[in-house]
Amino acid sequence: MGRIEALVLLSTFTTSILAAGSTRPRGVGPEFAKFYKSSDSFACISNPSITLSPSQINDDYCDCPDGSDEPGTSACTYISTLSPPQPLTGSSAQNSTVALPGFYCKNKGHLPSYIPHMYVNDGACDYELCCDGSDEWEGVGGTKCEDKCKEIGKEWRRLDEIRQKSARAALKKKDELVKEAGELRAGVEKSIANLEVEIKTQEAKAAELQKVYEDVERRERGKVVKSPGKGSKVTILAGLAKTRVEELRNALTGGVKRAVQSWENYAANKDTDADESAEDRDIESISKPDSESEGINWAEWETSDEESDVEALYKIEEYLPESLRTWVHQKITDLRIMLIENGILADNANSGSESKAVTDARNSYNTANDDVGNKKSSLGDLQGDLTKDYGADDIFRALKNTCVSKDSGEYEYELCWMDKTTQKSKKGGGNTGMGNFVRFDKLYVDEEVGADGKGLGQGERFVLMYENGQGCWNGPNRQTTVVLACAEKDEIWKVQEQEKCMYRMDVGSPTVCEREIKVEKANKDEL
Amino acid sequence: MRVSSTPSSQWTALFVLVSTLCTLFTPAVSVKYENFKTCDQAGFCKRNRAYADTAAATSSWKAPYALTSDSLSWKSGQLQGTILKTINTNGETVRLPITISFLESGSARVTIDEEKRQKGDIELRHNSIARKERYNEVEDWTIVGGLGLSKNAAESREAEKTTVTYGPEGKFEAVVTFAPFSIDFKRDHATQIKFNDRGLLNMEHWRPKIEKTVPEKKEGEEETPAPEVPSGEDESTWWDEPFGGSTDSKPKGPESVSLDITFPGYDHVFGIPEHAGPLSLRETRGGTGAHTDPYRLYNADVFEYIMDSPMTLYGAIPFMQAHRKDSTVGVFWMNAAETWIDIIKQKEPHNPLSLGIGSATDTKTHWFSESGLIDVFVFLGPTPKDVTKAYGELTGYTQLPQEFSIAYHQCRWNYNSDEDVKDVDRKMSKHQIPYDVIWLDIEYTDDKQYFTWDPLTFPNPIGMLEQLDKSDRKLVAIIDPHIKNKEGYQVSKELKEKDLAVHNKDGNIYEGWCWPGSSYWVDCFNPEAIKWWVGLFKYNVFKSLPNLFIWNDMNEPSVFNGPETTMPKDNLHHGNWEHRDVHNVNGLTFVNATYQAMLERKKGELRRPFVLTRSYYAGSQRMGAMWTGDNQANWDHIAAAFPMIINNGIAGFPFAGADVGGFFGNPEKDLLARWYQAGAFYPFFRGHAHIDTRRREPYLVGEPYMGIITQALRLRYALLPAWYTAFHEASVDGTPILRPHYFMYPSDEAGFAIDDQFFVGSTGLLAKPVVTEGATSVDIYIPDNELYYDYFDFTKYEGQGHKTVPAPLEKIPLLMQGGHIIPRKDRPRRSSGLMKWDPYTLVIVIGKDGTASGELYVDDGESYDYESGAYIRRDFEYREGVLESRNLGTKGKLTDKYVKTMKDVVVERVVVVGAPKAWEGKSSVKAAGKDAALEFHAEEGGKAAWVVVRRPQVAIGEDWKIEF
Repeated sequence: MGRIEALVLLSTFTTSILAAGSTRPRGVGPEFAKFYKSSDSFACISNPSITLSPSQINDDYCDCPDGSDEPGTSACTYISTLSPPQPLTGSSAQNSTVALPGFYCKNKGHLPSYIPHMYVNDGACDYELCCDGSDEWEGVGGTKCEDKCKEIGKEWRRLDEIRQKSARAALKKKDELVKEAGELRAGVEKSIANLEVEIKTQEAKAAELQKVYEDVERRERGKVVKSPGKGSKVTILAGLAKTRVEELRNALTGGVKRAVQSWENYAANKDTDADESAEDRDIESISKPDSESEGINWAEWETSDEESDVEALYKIEEYLPESLRTWVHQKITDLRIMLIENGILADNANSGSESKAVTDARNSYNTANDDVGNKKSSLGDLQGDLTKDYGADDIFRALKNTCVSKDSGEYEYELCWMDKTTQKSKKGGGNTGMGNFVRFDKLYVDEEVGADGKGLGQGERFVLMYENGQGCWNGPNRQTTVVLACAEKDEIWKVQEQEKCMYRMDVGSPTVCEREIKVEKANKDEL
Repeated sequence: MRVSSTPSSQWTALFVLVSTLCTLFTPAVSVKYENFKTCDQAGFCKRNRAYADTAAATSSWKAPYALTSDSLSWKSGQLQGTILKTINTNGETVRLPITISFLESGSARVTIDEEKRQKGDIELRHNSIARKERYNEVEDWTIVGGLGLSKNAAESREAEKTTVTYGPEGKFEAVVTFAPFSIDFKRDHATQIKFNDRGLLNMEHWRPKIEKTVPEKKEGEEETPAPEVPSGEDESTWWDEPFGGSTDSKPKGPESVSLDITFPGYDHVFGIPEHAGPLSLRETRGGTGAHTDPYRLYNADVFEYIMDSPMTLYGAIPFMQAHRKDSTVGVFWMNAAETWIDIIKQKEPHNPLSLGIGSATDTKTHWFSESGLIDVFVFLGPTPKDVTKAYGELTGYTQLPQEFSIAYHQCRWNYNSDEDVKDVDRKMSKHQIPYDVIWLDIEYTDDKQYFTWDPLTFPNPIGMLEQLDKSDRKLVAIIDPHIKNKEGYQVSKELKEKDLAVHNKDGNIYEGWCWPGSSYWVDCFNPEAIKWWVGLFKYNVFKSLPNLFIWNDMNEPSVFNGPETTMPKDNLHHGNWEHRDVHNVNGLTFVNATYQAMLERKKGELRRPFVLTRSYYAGSQRMGAMWTGDNQANWDHIAAAFPMIINNGIAGFPFAGADVGGFFGNPEKDLLARWYQAGAFYPFFRGHAHIDTRRREPYLVGEPYMGIITQALRLRYALLPAWYTAFHEASVDGTPILRPHYFMYPSDEAGFAIDDQFFVGSTGLLAKPVVTEGATSVDIYIPDNELYYDYFDFTKYEGQGHKTVPAPLEKIPLLMQGGHIIPRKDRPRRSSGLMKWDPYTLVIVIGKDGTASGELYVDDGESYDYESGAYIRRDFEYREGVLESRNLGTKGKLTDKYVKTMKDVVVERVVVVGAPKAWEGKSSVKAAGKDAALEFHAEEGGKAAWVVVRRPQVAIGEDWKIEF
């Protein structure tokens, strides 16, 4: 948008142009006309102590240390910090900052514009900046640049209209997104409120059920096992369980474990998943030799105590490291089923060791308790989501779970908002993860804006950083810097691999449109 | 068993994939130093070194080669005869025909062949279909003139020797001693060069292989008369020779040639590129700090080459100069086979050889090639310029290049798409950084098939070329000699059908691996192949525009799975010459074909080609530019570049450069900035980077580096008129573009070994770009008592010796020598093409004697119209207050027309550095009769007085005077 702003700026000088009229030397923009009015002498703009005869203006020789005597030629182009230093412009006391922004092309029929002086009379028609061809006024080497402002201006106006329309639409779209994001947020907030109520209710219910269960259980306890002791069923059971677990452990510490682990390493490489690594740890700890602190303390099981064996059986899990519980629970259940099926242990239902009432009460309590847990976890998720950074106005909340993609020759690129970026090869081979969203950022860019309005332009732009994508052969993990500029539609404009496996996506999106960008209709017809 | 087919094909695919990857990436993961032979691993090198050791250890060593005087004949500047080589103690001999030619230019040529092989009277092993002769066609590729025989040379024969006087005013002599055979080349009666002084002449004659069933003594015996050597020779390196997993079948057996060449009284030798090391070549046997291996010439794709090493690199020019105070001589060993050169420097206390002249050091060299002829040219100077000129008369002078090609080239492996190229182009313009050419490495092709564009990444090459053309910029695309072996690839199909590829030892098409995977190699020794190759560059075949030019890489040739990363030596080229015979000239033949193709891509569109090559040989300078291959982004490599470029320049190939920034690795910003400052003084100036490196286009580096780099680039562009003039000079007389001290001041011994500072053409610009980390100043050696001025601020330096010149990061140490006039164009533009009509600035640097002079050559920069006089060549002279421009050109049929087109191109400014004090107060001069204003600036704080003449407006192509 930088250029358009400049053009708009120029248009405000319309009146002074008319005033200065035709007397301006070649290449002088209206805002500098005042410096060239005198017909007796010319004072260098930034070095007014140096005065020249008006005939020295545009005589194709650079006299002013600031270049202001040659607005219409390329004679002063060597005055630049980019050129090799030389003492030609005199002492360092002079101000050698270039005074003029460029050669002024009037571009009648289009917008006036400044073109760098080094483009003046170089034999190339630079219609993009100087549609009237006035930059090649000298016709060096027979160069002829006809005035193309009529057609270029017409085309520009046509596109500009589209751009303006698009810009307005983009803002509208942004408003919609903000609204949508607000609604989504409200939805989340509502869900949270609901959940909180539900959790309270459910907690009360669970407490009630717990009480019921405890009562039932207490009542039933006396009926189950009367004579705990060394030779009790539970102790025998524990002995058996020990043997089985030993066997299992031996199997695990041998080749099977290695095979399992290498498979899991492989799987983990594909997708590092917390559950799987937890399972990994389980196998680790059960495989460890038994001791007070690690593995399973069988002594606790083999020595009978006052406590109910049945209770102990159910509590077995509680003696284990938390990570082991699920696993052991499963194993014990399996073991139990195995024992029952082999006739070693009587089926619980028939044995009468625990009444259905206890089971039911416990189940009801557990169900209610689990429900509380689940709801709390959902609540946590929602609360996390609510505090998560979705950008200003929460706007990216509206785009969450949506993706845009671009066909870019060899590859198709996909950007999933707040999620990940992906490269899909057309020459076969799988998709390549180019990074996962980590944060928002800002980046100063200096890029072209195409006639279609696509392009980042110049200035600080909003950035989505995607990191820790797939590792590169002989290189880093892929990452993508997604740079946004205002556009009506979400669209990937350009993808560049800036250095090995470091990508940049230039993306148009209404999410980053700003009100102040709105361009007033340029008053170009007068120019 | 049917089920197994699926997994097995998958495994095959995986294997192919893995092996492809391995092949592709080998150059990027391993240092391949051990992949290249040491002398000990090259049979003939080992044998010849052993031969030299035997000779040295034998007190009464007598070389077994004798010229039979009765065979000798003299005819119009040529001496012909036969050398008999005694091959055993029974006195058996083989006949070696010798021709000694004395050329009109003053050069001499000694050619020795082997009669038996010449006549085809030998048997090849392994039923080989290779040619039986020693390779005698190098000169078809190398020599373009200067072979005319001397009419004034005269022979005077005696019993033991014959003496031929020749050369300018008969000042040269060749004294040929018959037995043992040797030649002394003299100038002004003093010996300058001796052949076979040490008796190391060796031509391994043909012999059949005797299978070792019966202990043999006599048949295989060679010249080992030393009695202490047990009978029976060491045959271990004679026949099939294994290295790095492949075996060279050597159907012709041992066939190396060798000769010792002594430069009595000379303690410096230069030349024989390409090696990474100092200009003044080091000793290779004995001596402290000497190399342990000889300098090797066997063009090869050497990955991450090491510094200060005699190891072979990508190119070979077997041309050596020897220099001592006030005398330069040279030899050109014209042999395209693998060649090694041993150098020893010997203090001669009695100095019997140099007859009281020069230093007391003799430089003794020993040359050996695996096959081919002994064919040596001898140049007797006496100035360096005489030697390079004489060498150039034979092998041709450097091409007068397209003017854009001496401007800045922006390259990277790779610009990934046509949009990427256009983006870089726009950004360079936007940041006002001049450049002329953007380059495409191999990735632009469709699947590494040359002459195609990747349809996905380069869907619109024409649009890309058109955008570049808008600011008169060019594109260079890579085309390599390996042609992908792939169904449906038209180029590959034609290559096979027309049988234009290199063959293996059995005469079938040779298949090897390179970038595209399985590939064939076009055999540009074949005239039919050249014809076909030319057709591939037509616009309807290789879709492009006239602003596309070509880069020939990998033409050593690089073969990833070949021995020493190149072709097997027993491969066969056109005419069934073995690859061993032609290896070093192979790269040249490929560039030659491309050059022919680029001359006239469309009928009537005759233009100077621009081709960059990595591999080269003597003569490649006629066809384009070279660069020093795959260097690294570190201070060692930036420092190594100037000696290499300078050495290449004095060896006749001045259009040379190194990758600015370093190919491998990411340069620190200060290194990158310094490298651009250095690159601004490379005749070939290109920034390049490996695919794994970060982007480093100048606009990406940030300030102050971007500004520093842009200043360096703009300095190059401002001085393009001077550079182009220097190129013109090189193109007409072979004078190097970067001129080392020994070349400019052949009497100043302190400067002989200097290779980190140099003069630019004839401009008097003395540059010493910084190539060390963290430098804030450099010591520049001033060779004379002339006045010198800092280029940028006119600080004065005077007096012979070392001067400390400030060199903060933003400054290039660059002095102007008094006595010169330097043409410049100060207006920055986007490209050199857009500077065409810009006015000139002339900088007069007044010398101690109050005078200055300089030259300017201008033409259209692209066509051959200059051959019809369409050029401007001026001599500027300042003397006694008058600057005069005089014509140096010869009028041709296009001269007037051209000068007319240039009538508006004027001198906009004359700067006089070291202006006489008397001019203070002067306010105008007469320029071509009209007044022009003059501004005087007095001497101040060590900075010289200077004046500037405003708008003399005298046309560059016309005669005029400016009177001060």
